[in-house]
Amino acid sequence: MDELEILKQDWKKNENSFKQVGEKEIYNMIHKSSTSVVKWILIISILEFVILNGISFLISDKEIENFERLHPYIGIIEKVNYVVILGFIYLFYKNYKSICILSSSKKLIKDILQTRKTVNYYIYWNLIIGCFTGAIAFFDGFTESHQIENNKEIALTQIESILIFCIGFALVFAFIYGFYKLLYGFLMRRLQKNYNELSKIDF
Amino acid sequence: MRSQDEAQFVSLLKENQNIIHKICKLYTTDQDSHNDLFQEITIQLWKAYPNFRGDSKFTTWAYRVGLNTAITLFRKKKKTIDTIEFDNTFHKVKEDEYNFEEEEQLKLLYHAVNELNDIEKALVFLYLEDKDYTEIAETLGISEVNARVKMNRVKGKLKKIVNP
Repeated sequence: MDELEILKQDWKKNENSFKQVGEKEIYNMIHKSSTSVVKWILIISILEFVILNGISFLISDKEIENFERLHPYIGIIEKVNYVVILGFIYLFYKNYKSICILSSSKKLIKDILQTRKTVNYYIYWNLIIGCFTGAIAFFDGFTESHQIENNKEIALTQIESILIFCIGFALVFAFIYGFYKLLYGFLMRRLQKNYNELSKIDF
Repeated sequence: MRSQDEAQFVSLLKENQNIIHKICKLYTTDQDSHNDLFQEITIQLWKAYPNFRGDSKFTTWAYRVGLNTAITLFRKKKKTIDTIEFDNTFHKVKEDEYNFEEEEQLKLLYHAVNELNDIEKALVFLYLEDKDYTEIAETLGISEVNARVKMNRVKGKLKKIVNP
């Protein structure tokens, strides 16, 4: 007999032997909140928005004023950033609402992966903004310490300036990229694996 | 206060809970994960309940929501080890019916199923539940022909694991 047929016989024989869950327990369950992957993506993105923007309140106004005086375009970038991040949060929410558990498994995973795509664009955007402002801050910090050390006006060559900017950019990029890889990697790995498997079957 | 919808849902779920237990059995290897997945499927069923119109059977609907939750939405808390616990509560065999050889073979088979990936497990589950290939294909979102091909491969894979 086929292996699956042997298994089926046992499966049928024992299908009523599970410990039954009572009505009260089911009532309690439906009032608990879900731990679904999609929900976590939404929660994490909102938390990121709150935390990332909350940090700016911790930095003293004087420092921000100094930074903005040195780099007047930062204020504009900051405002654009707020609008873009709000747009991303709207997209996350829209994706979250459009995901339907009654779709076929393949469509459901595809819709969830669309959320991932939005997450990826969100990561790229944060990387660009984070690296840009981070590199400028790194550059400022370096020239400041250079000034103090030599007690004279800075006299960096153009090549030195570019090099410092690039190092700053690379360091911040590596930090933010690593952070997001860790954060979203564990949420998405299994979904991607299952989607690949379904796509492979239909290839 | 419990609404009429809630009461109706709880009663339907209570009546058909074995479907969920069976999905949990296939996708988890310990009681805690079984309970977690059971709860997550129940939540997803309840969330989707307003879309349940009663024109399809509750069981058909529960199969789809349950499998989708196990495959896509459920977050495994820890990496499960590759051995399936042969659940004795699931196999209450009367002493006179006890067959050591049969039990050993079943142990091997459940272990082999546990080695399959999430999608292969879904195929096996629907097969064990006597679903035809049209329904299997529709549930997973693949073509019927490919569902058959894949099922044959899964059978081959199981044979290979059981008889290395």
